Formats: sequence, C-alpha cells, structure tokens
Amino acid sequence: MDSSELYHVKQQFVLGAYKTVVDLTLPDPNSPDFIPTLIYKARSHIALNDPKAALQLVPADSENVALKAVTSLAKFVAAEGTSNSESALEELRDLSVEIEGDDVEGTDRDKATVRVLAGTAFARAGELEEALETLGADTEDLEAVAVIVQIYLSINRPDLAKKEYERSKRWAEDDLLLQLIESIIGLVTGKDEYHNPYTFYTEQLGNPSLSSPHVLTARGVTRILRNEFPEAQSDLEEALTQHTDAETLAAFAVASGLSSTKKGETDANELWTRLSSEYPRHPSVVDIAKKSTLFDEAMAKYTVPPLAASAA
Amino acid sequence: MSVMLTKFESKSNRVKGLAFHPTQPLLAAGLHNGSIQLWNYRMGVLVDRFEEHEGPVRAVHFHPSRALLVSGGDDYKIKVWDIRPQNRRCLFTLHGHLDYLRTTQFHHEMPWIISCSDDQTIRIWNSTSRNCIAVLTGHSHYVMSAFFHPKDDLVVSASMDQTVRVWDISGLRKGSPNTGPGNFETFDTFSTVKYVLEGHDRGVNYATFHPTLPLILSAADDRTIKIWRMSETKAWEVDSCRGHFNNVSAAIFHPKHELIVSCGEDKTVRVWDLAKRTAIQTFRREHDRFWDLAAHPNLNLFAAGHDSGLIVFKLERERPAFAVHQNTLYYIRDKYVRAYDFETASDIGLLSVRKFGSPYVPPRTLSFNPAENAVIVTISSDNGMYELTTLPKPSSAQGGELKDSSVDGKRGSGMSAIFVARNRFAVLNKTTQLIEVRDTANSVVKTIKPPVQTNEIFYGGTACLILSSTSTVVLYDIQQQKTLAEVNSPPVKYVMWNADSSLVALMSKHTITIANRNFSQHSLIHETIRIKSGAWDDAGVFIYSTLNHVKYCLYQGDHGVICTLDNPVYLTRVKGKTIHCLDRSARPRTITFDPTEYRFKLALLKNNYEEVLYIIKNSTLLGQSIIAYLQQKGFPEIALHFVQDTNTRFELAVECGNLDVAMETAESIDRPDCWERLAQQALKQGNHKIVEKAYQKTKNFDKLSFLYLATGSTDKLSKMQKIADARGNPMSRFHNALYAGDVMSRISVLRDVGMYPLAYLTAKSHGLEELAEEILEVAGLSPADVDDVPSFGQSNRKPPPVLNPTTDLVWPSLSNGESFFDRALASGSLENGVEPSYVNGDAAAGSLAALDDWAKDEEVHEEIDPEEGGWDLDAGAEFAASHEVQEEVEEEEELGAGATPGVSEIEHWVRNSPLAVDHVSAGSFDTAMQLLNRQLGVVNFEPLKPLFLSIYRSSHTFLSPVASLPPLQLHVRRNPSESSPSRVLPVAARSLQSIRSEFVDGARDVAGNRLVNAQATFRSVLRALLLVVLTSDDEAKQWRDMVTSAREYLLGVSIELERRRVAQEEPDNIERNLELAAYFTHCQLQPVHLQIALRSAITVFGKANNSAHAGRFAKRLLELKPDAKIAATARQRVAAAERNPRNAVEISYDEFTSFEICAASFTAIYKGSPSVQCPYTNATFQPQYKGLLDPLTELTEIGASASGLPAPW
Repeated sequence: MDSSELYHVKQQFVLGAYKTVVDLTLPDPNSPDFIPTLIYKARSHIALNDPKAALQLVPADSENVALKAVTSLAKFVAAEGTSNSESALEELRDLSVEIEGDDVEGTDRDKATVRVLAGTAFARAGELEEALETLGADTEDLEAVAVIVQIYLSINRPDLAKKEYERSKRWAEDDLLLQLIESIIGLVTGKDEYHNPYTFYTEQLGNPSLSSPHVLTARGVTRILRNEFPEAQSDLEEALTQHTDAETLAAFAVASGLSSTKKGETDANELWTRLSSEYPRHPSVVDIAKKSTLFDEAMAKYTVPPLAASAA
Repeated sequence: MSVMLTKFESKSNRVKGLAFHPTQPLLAAGLHNGSIQLWNYRMGVLVDRFEEHEGPVRAVHFHPSRALLVSGGDDYKIKVWDIRPQNRRCLFTLHGHLDYLRTTQFHHEMPWIISCSDDQTIRIWNSTSRNCIAVLTGHSHYVMSAFFHPKDDLVVSASMDQTVRVWDISGLRKGSPNTGPGNFETFDTFSTVKYVLEGHDRGVNYATFHPTLPLILSAADDRTIKIWRMSETKAWEVDSCRGHFNNVSAAIFHPKHELIVSCGEDKTVRVWDLAKRTAIQTFRREHDRFWDLAAHPNLNLFAAGHDSGLIVFKLERERPAFAVHQNTLYYIRDKYVRAYDFETASDIGLLSVRKFGSPYVPPRTLSFNPAENAVIVTISSDNGMYELTTLPKPSSAQGGELKDSSVDGKRGSGMSAIFVARNRFAVLNKTTQLIEVRDTANSVVKTIKPPVQTNEIFYGGTACLILSSTSTVVLYDIQQQKTLAEVNSPPVKYVMWNADSSLVALMSKHTITIANRNFSQHSLIHETIRIKSGAWDDAGVFIYSTLNHVKYCLYQGDHGVICTLDNPVYLTRVKGKTIHCLDRSARPRTITFDPTEYRFKLALLKNNYEEVLYIIKNSTLLGQSIIAYLQQKGFPEIALHFVQDTNTRFELAVECGNLDVAMETAESIDRPDCWERLAQQALKQGNHKIVEKAYQKTKNFDKLSFLYLATGSTDKLSKMQKIADARGNPMSRFHNALYAGDVMSRISVLRDVGMYPLAYLTAKSHGLEELAEEILEVAGLSPADVDDVPSFGQSNRKPPPVLNPTTDLVWPSLSNGESFFDRALASGSLENGVEPSYVNGDAAAGSLAALDDWAKDEEVHEEIDPEEGGWDLDAGAEFAASHEVQEEVEEEEELGAGATPGVSEIEHWVRNSPLAVDHVSAGSFDTAMQLLNRQLGVVNFEPLKPLFLSIYRSSHTFLSPVASLPPLQLHVRRNPSESSPSRVLPVAARSLQSIRSEFVDGARDVAGNRLVNAQATFRSVLRALLLVVLTSDDEAKQWRDMVTSAREYLLGVSIELERRRVAQEEPDNIERNLELAAYFTHCQLQPVHLQIALRSAITVFGKANNSAHAGRFAKRLLELKPDAKIAATARQRVAAAERNPRNAVEISYDEFTSFEICAASFTAIYKGSPSVQCPYTNATFQPQYKGLLDPLTELTEIGASASGLPAPW
C-alpha cells in the first residue's frame, strides 16, 4: 500500500491534474516515495507536452529503469515527427527486454512503469500491436490496463476493452483508476446514457482534495455526449478560465456549435479559428483539414452545369 | 393507530445498529457479537455476513447510491465494505477514534463519512482520500449519535453530557488545500458549534433532523423524547413526549407522515403524533429491550433492533381502497375519494372522507354503485365501520371545497360492506355473524345468518354473495338464503370478476382460485410470494401482482411471469399492453408489458393454430421457458421453430419425429449417443437410410450388416465383408459371409481361426470335396480319421432371394398435423384467411409496403457499400495504424484475436441512416453527396462545403483520459439513450427549429428592404434544409413546407432585385419593369410581405398609368385588410381605376389564368404550358433550362430525376 502522500500524487496524476503534480515539491531523496513521485512529476510534464522540462527534472545518469524509461519517453515525445524518434523507441524496446531478465535492478513497480511508458510510446507511434504485447495480456497493473483499454477503444473494440476491465475488476481494489477506466469505456459505448462517466466525473469534481480542469473538461465532453449542450458549455467555459488546452477548446467549439443558437454558431467558428491557429497539430484540426480535401475530391466527381440565366 | 404490521423478524444476538438499503430490500444489522448481518427482508433470507470487527458493532449505514456499507465497532475502527456479492469484502479501514464507535453515516452527496465515538469526538472522513477531514470537539462525554442534515451543511449530535449540538460544517464543503493527516489544529476552522440544545436531565442517546422541516428530535435516558425547532439564528425546545418508562434508545421522524416512532429499554416501540405530541400506539415485547430504530427513506418500513434479534414492520396498510367501473377508477388517496379516467388520465378529487373513523387509519375498501353514483367506504378503526355517501357530480366538485362525506353520509358498524344490487347493500357484522341487507336509506330489509363462520363478504353476481371463511369460500344466494357452491381455499382476501362475469378470481395470501360463475369448475395456483392484487385482461387472462412480480394465469392454471417489480403495486385494470395500477402511495401508474407469451399459450390452449402461427411469425418469442412449455404440452414441432441450440433442436426433432431436422442437427453435434437415438427413431419410422447413416457414423458394423441383409442390399453386404476383412474381426467376417451366402469365405474364416472341424464340415456339406480334403490335410488328418463323423447331406442354405428391392425405398410416413406449421413456416407467407380476424387487411398490406420500402433502402445501401469500403481506407491515421496491426497479427497468434480493429461508430452511423446529413456527420462525404444527388438532384456542392465541415466537426469530440496517449475520438449521438451499435445515430447539428429562426430573419430583411441580405439568407436556409435530421412524417411535412416557402421568398426577392436592376439599367423597358412587379405579387408570401409586394406594384403601375392593373392590385391589397392609412390610399386607387379603367402599357400579364413563374427567366408559364422542375425545391422553369444549374438555390440540376427524401423512421 502506498503512503498517503504518494496515493495522493497518483490520484492527481490519474485525474489529469498535471499542473498540480508538476508544482509539487519532491520529498526527501532518501524517502521511498522519492522516485515514484519524481516519475509522476516527469510524466506530468510530458503529458503537458513539455518533454524538455521532464528531461531537465530527471537526472541523466540514473540507474533506475523506470527513470530511464521516463527519459526515453520524453525524448520520444520531443522528437516526435522527426527521425530521432526512432532511437528513443529503440531505447524503450531495450528497456522492455531488459526488465524481463532476472538480474535487473528495480522493483516490480519500476518494471510496471517501464511497460506503461513503453506501451504509451509505442501506441503514440502507431505500433499498437507492439504496445499491447509490451503491456502484457495478463498484467495486474491498472495503469497498464488503462493504456490497453484505450488502445482497444481506439481500434473500435469496446468488447475487448470491457473484457479487460472485467478482468481487472477481479483483482483491482475499488480503485480510482479502475473507475476511470470504466468511465472511458462508458464514454465510447454510451451505455446507460453515459451514466458511468457522468457520475464519476461529477463525483470527482466534488472531491475536495484536488481540483483538475481536466475533470471539468471530461465532464463537459460527457455532457456533450449526453446532448446537454448548454450545461456542457458552462463546464467547458469554466475549465477554460482555469487552464487553456486544445482539448477543452475543441470541445467548447463542438458544444457551442451544437447549441442551436446564432451566437453559438459564431462562437464555434471563432473557436475553431483559434484552435487551428494555436494548436495546428491537434487531431481535430488535422482531421478537419483532411476532410476538407476529401470534400474537394468528392465534389470533383460532379460536373456543374452552367447557371440557368435569362437569355434576355 | 391500530395497525403495526410485522413484515419480517429474525432471531440473533443483540442488535445494536440498523440501516435500510435505499433501493434494494436489504437491511444491515450490527450485532453485539461483532458480526454484521445483511438481510433481504422481503425474501426473509440472510444474504451475507461481515465478520471483521472485534467486539460489538453499533454503527452501520448504506451508501445512498453505491454498493457500500460503513460500519463502526467497539474496536475503534470504521470499516467500509463492498457489499456486491461477487466483490464482498472490506475495502478499507479508517483509524483514528480512540474509543467505541457509536454511529456512522455516509453523506448524501459528498464522499464523506461521519462518525462519533465515546472518545467525545465526532469525525468526518473523506472516503476517496481516506483521510479524516474534520474533528468536531466540544462534547464532554460519550457522543452517542451524529448525523448529517439531509440537505444543509449541518450535523446534529447527541451526547451523554446531556446536550444535543448542531454543528455548521459549511466550511468543509468549500474545499481546502488538503493538509494530510496529522494537522489537527486546522480542523477546527471548518466547523463550528451552531447551537447547543440543553434540556434533557440525563444523557441523550439519539438526535436526528427532520427530513424536510427545521426540526430535531432527541431521545434520552430521562425517558423523554424532545422536539426542537431551529431558525437561522437560534434553536429552542418545542415540546416533550413522555410515556416511555425507561431509557429511550432512539426516536425518528416518519419520513412521510406527521408521526414520531421511538423505542426504548422499556421493551416498547411507540408511535406519537408529531403535531399533538400524544401517544398513538404502543407495541410491547415480552422480554426484549429495544436498542435501535431505522426508517426506510422512501417506503413505509421501519426496523427495530432488540435483545434477541430485529423486527421489520410497517405502520399501516398501504393497499389503497379502490373500485373500477367501466373506464373509471374510484379510489381513495389521503382520505379523499378520487376518480381517475383510464383513457384521458384525468384524476379528480370527488369527496372527502377525513371525518370518517380514526384519522390515522386509511379506509379499507370502497364499493361503487353506478346507478346511484354512490360509494360505500369501510374502515377498520372503531371495530369496523361503513359509510354510504353519494358522490357529487364531478363538475360541481370543481372550485371550492370538496364535499365532505359527513354531510349526508349514512354510517353503521360492520367489517365489510358492499353493494349487492342497485339499491341494496350487504353489511357483515363479524362478531354477531349476521349479514344485514340494507336499502339506500340505510334501513335493514333482510338479515341473513351465514352458513359458515364468515370473515369477509364479496359480490357474488346478481343477488349472490361470496362468503370467505377460514378454509372455504361459499357462493351464497341471498334471495333463496342457501349455499349454491362451496370451494376449499385458504381465507380469501380479494375477489375479482372478469369483464363478462363468467370467471372469478378468488385471491388469498398465497393462492388464487380461478372459478367459473357457479363455482362448478375451478383451478388453483399457488404462489410462494405474497399475492397483492389482480385484474382480468380482455382475453380472459388473469393478471396478478405479487410482492415482486406481475404474473399472468390462464383459466386452466398455467401461469408465468410478465415482469418484475421494485415495489408492490395494486393492479386496477389491464387493457391491451397496458397495466393500470396504483402504487403504495395510491398514485395511478401504468406499466407497459408484452402480452405475447400468454396470448400464445392461450391460443395453444384453445387450439387456435392460426393465431399461434401468427404470433410465431410476428413476435420474438424466445427462451427456455416457452420451449419447455411447448414440449411439455405436446407441441415439440412448434418448439422446434424457436430453438437455435443444436442439442435442444435434436432432442425436439427426435421427439416429434422430424427426421430431417434430427439428421441435420445430429451431423453438427456428431456424438455417438445422438446417432444411436437417431437410429432408434429412424428405425421406428422405417427410414432405413437414416438408420444406415447413423450406424455408419457410430461404426456399428454388426447392426449395419443386419440392416443390409434386411433391406436386401447385397452389394453393400459384400462391402461390409471387405471391411470386416480389413478389420480382421473373424466374428464379423463370419456374419457377413453368412448373410451374403458366401460359403468360400465362411470356410476361410473358420480355417483362419483354426476351427478346422467346422470348416471341414461346411466344405463337405456344400459339396466342396477338394477343399474338405485340403482342410483335413492342413489339420494333419486323413479321411480315415473322420470316418465316424456322420454325413449331413448337402446343405442348400442361402439367403432368401430379394423379391422386392427395398434398398432405395423408405417406409412411407404419414404426414400428420405438424405439417400445418411446417408448411406455413417454411413457405414464408401466410395464406389468405389464415391471419387472425383482429388484424385487418389494411394493416397487413401496410406492413407489406413498409417491407418493400425497407427492401429498397437495403438496396440503396448495397450500392453505397463499395464506396464506403474505399472511404474506410482513407479514414485517417487511426485506420492506417490498425491495418499495420492486422498484418502483424498473423505472426503473433497469441494476441492476434485481441487486436483486430472493430467497426467504428462512424461506420455504424453510415449503415444506420439513409439521410445525407448523417453521412456528413460520419465524414462520409462521398456517400452523402451521392445521396443528395440521388434524392434531391444536387450537383453543385461547392456552396455546401462550410456546412459539411461544420456538421462534421460538431459531431466529434476528443478526450485524452490517459496521460500522453493520443486522444480518443468520441462521437456525439442524437439518441444518447441508445447504446446498441445498430441503432446509434449522429447528433443533429441543425434543427428545423433553428433553421426556422434563420428563415424568420430573412423575412425580416424582406420587410426592412434589405433584399440582397434576404436573398443570401434564403439561399442559406435552403442549403441548411438539405442537411437536417427528420424523424417523423410530421417533421417531413414541416420540412417540405419550409422548403416551399423559402423558395417562394427567394423567388420573390430575386424578381424584385431583377426589377430594380431593369429600372436602373434599362429605364426605357417599362414593360419588363411592370411585368416583374406584377409577378412579385404572385409569389406565395405571408400576408404582411405580400402587402409590400402589392404596394410596390401599385406604385409602379400607377406611375406607368396602368390604372386598371393598379386598381386590381389595390383590390387584392384591400382583401388583406391592411391598416387604415394604407387602406385609404388603396381605396383611392380602386376609385381611380373605376374612373379610368385603361392601361397605358401593354404587358404580358394575364392574372386570370393561373400561372407559375419561371425562376430563371422570370416569365410566366401559364397552366398547360410545358415546364420543368427543380428536383429539390420544385421551382418551375421554362423547358429550355432543363439540365442547367438552378439559379435560385445554385445547387441542383433543373429537371434532374430525384427520389425524394427517404423516411427511415
């Protein structure tokens, strides 16, 4: 069982309060919590898309496999889209092989972290099969399960995701992360009118021990899915006052666009413009650009006859 | 209060803590021996037991929404338990208290737990972070109870220090930087003592808030219960309830009524009137002191824990008194007689019965007399009373006070009272055992001495009574004063007649007797669960409710479940698929159910095979029960049609002798025992081919050979011989040789196994001398050695010759009744006249047409499919990635199955909808365009691009729940209640409503003379209308109307713009100017806009001195009733035209022949002239424009063929 400080850090991290985790002061280096906390902190930097800060945080000469993995993931994220990313992936591959051996230093926890981080990187690189393999089919680490579940969902296999969740329910505590996993599945399948994610995020918003704009965003998205657009708008607007990120912005645009008001439409268009200029790499922006080309291609199949106009 | 009904009782160690589950029938009990019991009080079973506390458990409480239980014990620990049977265990333990725990409770919305302890503190814990977040200190002795306020941020606590305290914890909710455990100083800032209530002379055991009012109740060792009231600023004692003669353990408010329930060590549970503070009822126990009390939050249920167990009880009967007459339900709620109309659902109060009997007892029964419009109400207080009152007319009841029954009510004493005739009612006096028949003036006309000890009387048909005694029901004739019939039954509590009074249901606690009207036939149903109520449906099926089910029962006694219930209901009427009922608080409700199952059984029972067949074909009857039922009732061949499972199919097929199906299923099962059973059945039916196959499958060589012999199949026999050779089985070889009449091989078998004597004799007796010699030689003997063997003579044994070749013949089987179903089900359509009469032909034809439509839609989809496939590949990185995975799958078998990508939601959208807009939402622009093109002839998509993109982006959103992974794409549905992939549909980005408001904007522009804006707006309206979700015929009609009016406005605005252009650029072309002005007035605009058009025309024509035309326009204007000023000018115009009915300019405008306006050339197309249409808006064009782009919408090709919008709803 984790100490309560670490439990708390983990909880913040799981709920996406990366800012809070980043701002944490590290415990004493001799404390058993030091390395796990450091790892969460570094991972939060990476999650905030700031891999450089993560690299600065983690000592380069560390022997700990988990720390090495964090470094590699940070390098990978930093180099994504360039040719250097492959070398970072190779490092992670080596680490995943290394932890399988008996002679390696490091606790089970460190090994699990290595798998999660490697799996994350592989999934980011589109190597889903490799990611699944690294994470292991019978893992008893909930973080790994979360990654596996999301991968399954991303390839439209909610059935497998559900199976994975049911499996972990058998051994996992009534853990926050398990509830989160259940919610993610709920978001995709829409079971019981998105009841699970909705209550989960609402409950976490009421959690006095943390505040995470991510949770607000998530509830906003859930409300969009539940067709509660004005409520969603208010959630997302509040989230934006706390913290601006692409996801919230994109969701806000969707909610505004669906609100069936004139103002909503104009807002939506403004938000999209803002989103595409500030976050040109966000998937929704990329997706729309692709669809725009698709439209032009499809349109080209139709010949437009000349406009009928009065001969006079 | 004369009733306290015990519902459940258990014996155990002393019970110190109790809690009801808010939704399930579960009760948690903390025991003095350290165990926590979880009871299902409805079923009366112990569900679970949690035994981790050391020492007594005094505190238990359920989480309001999750499957959690919190408990506290004398081991100073608070434990939180997962109570789901599959996960039951202690989730975590909260440490911190330094002495016994007294109560624990979950907060109703926050993740908080409150606890109090003998360590003089109250603590609040966060169950998520598992930290103590507040310690409330101040009590100077044991804290005996502490509870959250049901709504506000308050806590009430009771302590041995003789005080009750109210604490304000609003500081806690504001959320605070969590400081972690250990910093006790900071806690005090969160919560403050708001009030200290002093008044008890001894320690206080229990204090609780009223669920809605600002009241507090406390119970103390000074033997009193005190009621306190609080305001924003202070709290004060209101009154005390005295009566307990020992320590009061607990006192709680009744959740719904103005009552207090308390219990104490004086071995009593007492009920008090909250308003009068007087004791109403006392319930005593012989030996057990009471320790704890709990109230169910929603139901009329209480639990009390005592020295040797616990009891669950309720305070009053909840069955509302009601009677049904035709379409009206007369019932009593809150002591008002009300009438509820089943069809209109109107529900009105008619009569107050508040002054009748004890105020705490609800009336028991109600009997309605339609002839007199009167009711008899009975009540059980005061040893039974009845009251006869006429109901006021519903109209007079409206407004003002309702009539009170005491005004003209006629009362008397008696346990049950019912109308028996138009002007007579019968009253049973239970103690004297006399039934009095009275007239409407309440005077006795007849007195009857019932033949049996009678507990209750019911209407028994004309001039008859049904008498219920302890062991029998008697049908009794009032006039003749004699018993007509008697049936044995447990005490009957309710009686229900069916619609035509041919059948009656007699209900007692656990049985229902269904009898015909003279009790000559009856059947009995036994239920283990308490029967609550029942009603007859139109088809003569009795529907009844138990504590937890609605069930049906057929007249011969078959019964089954229709649905389950969370809480009991009282059925009042069943009509079609709707059950009308009253719930426990006497509110009318309806339940919709599927009567198919019992209709099916009823049809079977009545041998109505047409209907059976109809039901089979038109509904989805499935499940083991129906199969077992059919099998049991001797209809295996029907059951066969429901079964998918091969094993069951086989069993059924064998049973009903359907060898084809049996064969087919046996092949897929392929187990020896199946083949053996098949062989037996086939043998019985003489189908030797199947027998042969079965024997072959089981390698049953002996039987197979004999079968071939029996069927005279010689060639196969010789094959068997070869097989036997190959198997090297001498016995088999010998058999086969014998059957085939093959002497040589018989001998060779005998020789091979060394039975030379037999071989020799066989050879010898078949005249094979040489062979016989040879055998002798091999055996080392000479003929001399066998001299003593007698000679047997020549054998001429041979298999009999085949007279009739039966090899290819199978014993003919008689086609019997089963073929009716086989034929009908196989042929796929019902022959005419087979449909049951209640389905008229039109409906069937309609459904056929609908099917055709469906088929059409299917076809459409098939055409689309290839495109979809092509599109998939382009669907983005997600897909590209998944394809890679697929390739790797082949190498990695272990994970292979797990990683194949599934069907994405957007593909489902495309599959599920024939609407272009849904395809746009799915991003399948290609198919969307195809649909628009095919349905509405759209060819120019350029202007639709922004719409396409905004609809698409509004239908998808992203979320990254897991750190650093690429975000998940989520798809927004318009039917979020639907999660089945085959029915999900994308969100509707634009609604008809929002487009209508845009249309109104455009119309406003017209009025404000901003014509260019208006033109753009109407174009955009028409574009948006292309991509709107329609869900009903009604919406489709609205859509069409809106398209048409948008078109007319657009046309009008375009004409007017053209006229202005002409006036500007070709000032001499007055003729054209006039024509256009005239046409504008023929666009179908709303009157207010049409006035503008007319006035403009009047001005233009006036200027051109075409006063006749101008006058006509003015007349039309006057018809629209414009305001006075305009009307006055118009009248002048009319007058001028009458003075001078001439036109200066000749124009092509004939207003007397109806015409359409060509939307391209703005010329008139008179009726009968050729024209072409826009496939979308139906705007009309001169024929020469066919094939060109519609200039109005700039979207469609004029004259293109189009199929119109599909109607997928």
